[in-house]
Amino acid sequence: MSDRLTRRAGTFLIGGTESHTSRSIPALLLPIIVVGAALALVPLWLGESRVFMGVAVLGLAFICYVIGFNVIFGGTGQLFLCVGALAGVGGFGATILADNAGWPILLSIIAATLAATLIGGLLSYVAVQRSLGVIFTGIVTLIFSLSFDALLLGLSYLTGGDTGRLIKSGTDTFLRERVPPYYLMLAIVLVFLLIHGLLRRSHIGWAFRALRDDEVAAELAGVDVARYRVYGALIGAAMLGLAGSTYAFTEGRISPTTFGFGHVDVVVLVMLAFGGIGTLLGPIIGAITFTIVDEILIDFGQLRQVAYGILIIVLFLWMPRGLIPTLGSLWLRLHGQKISDPAKSTDSVAGEQEAASGKAQSTE
Amino acid sequence: MTANILDGIVLGLQFGLLAAGLTLIYGLGGVLNLGYGQIAVISAMTVALAMDAGVPVLPAVGLGLLAGGLFGLLLDLTILRPVYRLHGEARVLLSLLLTLGVSFIVDGYLNWRYPLKSLSLYIGGGAIDILGVPMRRGSLVASAITLVTIAGLFVFFRSTSLGRAIRSVIEDEAGARLIGIDPKKMLRLILVLSGVLAALVALTRSMIAPVDTTSGLSITVFALIVTVVGGLGNFVGALLAGIILGIVSVVAADLIGSYISLIILLGAAAVTILIRPAGLLGVKE
Amino acid sequence: MLEVNGLSAGYQGNDVVHDVAFHVDQGEAVMIIGSNGAGKTTLFQTLCGLHPPSSGKVTFEGDDITGIPAERIARLGMRFVSAARHLFPRMTVQEHLLLGAYPHKPDPATMSIVLDLFPRLAERRKQRAGTMSGGEQQMLAVGRALMSKPRLLMLDEPSTGLAPLLAKSAYEALDVLREQGLTVLVTEQQVPLAMAFSDRGYVLENGFIRLEGTTEQLAANPAVRSAYLGVI
Repeated sequence: MSDRLTRRAGTFLIGGTESHTSRSIPALLLPIIVVGAALALVPLWLGESRVFMGVAVLGLAFICYVIGFNVIFGGTGQLFLCVGALAGVGGFGATILADNAGWPILLSIIAATLAATLIGGLLSYVAVQRSLGVIFTGIVTLIFSLSFDALLLGLSYLTGGDTGRLIKSGTDTFLRERVPPYYLMLAIVLVFLLIHGLLRRSHIGWAFRALRDDEVAAELAGVDVARYRVYGALIGAAMLGLAGSTYAFTEGRISPTTFGFGHVDVVVLVMLAFGGIGTLLGPIIGAITFTIVDEILIDFGQLRQVAYGILIIVLFLWMPRGLIPTLGSLWLRLHGQKISDPAKSTDSVAGEQEAASGKAQSTE
Repeated sequence: MTANILDGIVLGLQFGLLAAGLTLIYGLGGVLNLGYGQIAVISAMTVALAMDAGVPVLPAVGLGLLAGGLFGLLLDLTILRPVYRLHGEARVLLSLLLTLGVSFIVDGYLNWRYPLKSLSLYIGGGAIDILGVPMRRGSLVASAITLVTIAGLFVFFRSTSLGRAIRSVIEDEAGARLIGIDPKKMLRLILVLSGVLAALVALTRSMIAPVDTTSGLSITVFALIVTVVGGLGNFVGALLAGIILGIVSVVAADLIGSYISLIILLGAAAVTILIRPAGLLGVKE
Repeated sequence: MLEVNGLSAGYQGNDVVHDVAFHVDQGEAVMIIGSNGAGKTTLFQTLCGLHPPSSGKVTFEGDDITGIPAERIARLGMRFVSAARHLFPRMTVQEHLLLGAYPHKPDPATMSIVLDLFPRLAERRKQRAGTMSGGEQQMLAVGRALMSKPRLLMLDEPSTGLAPLLAKSAYEALDVLREQGLTVLVTEQQVPLAMAFSDRGYVLENGFIRLEGTTEQLAANPAVRSAYLGVI
């Protein structure tokens, strides 16, 4: 597992080296503002329906999940198969603190987010300490995921077991209205995008890219791989915890399935694989696409699972870097631009604006 | 307590055989088959459907075993082709993802098409007394079949030239190739064999408790846990880990609770990965 | 018997072995000598089918076997013993020898020939290969290869990791096999050993065949003498 070639193996999913990204702040803010503006318009269109707004809020929650996973996996190459569980630590943790221990909602959210952050950091620390490769990291985090699920079911007096629990806290606040939660989640999404964008442009982001592409070389260049891996996990886990806890309060009701592996992790994986692992806007594209697709598929019952199975196979077989980046490089190639490293196109200003404008058009 | 231990051994034998199939695939081909549980379910459903159609028990069971082997072969011929082009960690990762996808397809389809279907091979007759504990005939027959199969596997790998050839690929793939053994053919064989083993476990399990279309995931999870604890690629380790974890599982479920029992098993796998990644009997690399 | 023409091979686009040509006739003992890094192992890996050639042609007994994978080459009557030996650590001597004949049933006559040749193996029949010494492992690797009654045996640096006395007895065993009609091709770094054994040879330097000739010719060649025989 310490062989240089096998260390790189986990990165085959993440694609080639990302180029030095543009350092200008406008280049970062512009796509985020465009995305924010576009998404802010959604309630004008769907706002009358509680059901559709609920789906929209869930979609935003998933964007947050995917960004968090993207930071951990796309950023530092750690296969954390416990996205749902970490969000669940946030969700269940915060709501139990608020309902059962009487804590104020904001404090509960902070505490639960902290818990998720620490757990994520711990998992990463342990994986790094024991030099676990991608596979074993995946298995260990999967074990955490399954254990968390079993714990939720086992402690049914606290968590409501299989059926879940209704959340009393926040019932009469803006959190349960139709539209305000949407803007709350949207604000969180934009903040996450900003954080991720700044991260990529910072020395931390540089370290991430270095250690992902070639761990041995990164160590030699002075990058403390272990430390940066844990940083990535801490940030990503914090995002997951925050998103999970906020979502729980807006939803009013959660159960183990809300944060279950099949319900969250698999979907997040597909979303990220579709939108582009390691990219900034990939999560947005993937999450929106599949929130819509998922709603359509709900009516098909179990066949929805079949669809996801096929999607996973198709995506990871033919487009391991993501559907959008692959299509992006194809488009650019067709238009005569020589791209030596297709990943560049989604990193550059042109690439992001293109992706943003493409997405903005589709929500009209 | 004796009852728990005996029940634990019964469960443990099944765990062991289940993990043996999965660990062989890994040891030989460096591939993690997360669709393993689904192969078991497909076989069980085949038997159930066959019996519904009037086929007598024994031929139906034969069909089930055949289905298991065929599905293993199918995996080798289709999904695993692109996996074989990779090596090492990349291969494991891709195989993990692709077989996960397959398991979703199978799970979703079976649950959609045959939502409440389950298989129960009921073995009639009263309970038999073992060490003072009345054991159901189903458990005893299942255990006997499992033991015979395990013994058969031992004989196969120790004493037949094909068995030796397979072991040699696990030991040193280049060395095997240099003496004319084709690792790809051996892997295909192991995939068929593991499919049959998965089927066998499902069928013997159904003598104790019903196996239905939703069992796939838990079968895969248990197989994975036992495989990890036994050491990836370690045949004897898988059997040993199976029996130990089977006993632990039953005892813990009885003394504390079934959810905690699962967490303990999961914890055992995590501890193994963290402290002794090569497994119970593994040799440190 | 074995004819190689214009063979090149390397890694990721860079050839390590360039345009190599040589031949081995029935009953001969041929050596390919060269120092470290000359490309001997790459050449060996390509010939035995573990590594694909980038260009060239290899013919065995008239049939084109270029680029054929190792498991198929091994069934054509050639056996290869690599420097790494590639033994099966947890399997016993007995199992190795039985496997050597795969897929055919092991011939008891061949088995006894091998055990006569390497009495130490007979003593350690039930011992696992991983626990054996370097010399014993070498014997086992050769013994395993012989079980298939090959017509051509190729060894990559048989003296690797062996004390001088053991290396010498390894070559003595090869001599015995030669007398029984086996054709042998060795690549070797320890030139005097190879010369004492072979009829003919080639000198491999930086991936190119620089010289060829009978052993006498090569031994008399001043360049060879100074580079490989330590004669100033």
